[in-house]
Amino acid sequence: MTAIHADIEALTELRAALTRFRYAQREVADRGGDAIEATRASLEASASRWRARLEQGGAELAACRDRAAAADGDQVDCSGYVRAVSEADERLERIRQWQQRIDQQLFEFAGASSRFKDLLETDLPRAEEQLAAIIASLRGARRVQPPGS
Amino acid sequence: MYPVSPGPARPDRDGDHQLRLLNDAWEKAVPFWRDDIARQFGAHHWMPLHDESRLYLEALRVMMDLLDAAERDTE
Repeated sequence: MTAIHADIEALTELRAALTRFRYAQREVADRGGDAIEATRASLEASASRWRARLEQGGAELAACRDRAAAADGDQVDCSGYVRAVSEADERLERIRQWQQRIDQQLFEFAGASSRFKDLLETDLPRAEEQLAAIIASLRGARRVQPPGS
Repeated sequence: MYPVSPGPARPDRDGDHQLRLLNDAWEKAVPFWRDDIARQFGAHHWMPLHDESRLYLEALRVMMDLLDAAERDTE
């Protein structure tokens, strides 16, 4: 295309860039959603593991304390079980706090995400169509054939 | 199908990269397109697209930072 049709060329490239953007950002949005779900599932799996450890640690600690109560004057050291229970409790609490923070952030993110998806599915195709009509009109006015025709 | 070009693995960074590419195409078109239709297209399509994309990508960045931090802290 000659330099006098550089506007048509630039608009054609802009239209192609809009289409590429739409597909690429759709994939970006999908990957973002997948990452959120993967982390939430991973945190839930961790929470489940630590809940089981807390339950098991609690049972072991209770058994140790029973042994200590039954031991007549003998020393029974339950401090290891106390530490294990305390660690499981702490880890579980930390996971719960992250889950809450993620849920709160997700609430804010959902609005932006929904608007962006609408834009990709509705507004952007309209912009591409309008640009295609403008390009066709310019080509028609100057009797320029589209590439490949 | 237009695949996302190879680059940073995080989706927000890929999204930023794609927005920069689109911005470049817009900047290249603007000098050749200065009529009323261009101004209308800019006001009704380009600016909302650009602004909404930036808002979304910033929200996605904050979300991805939070997910990374949560995973690091709960390993």
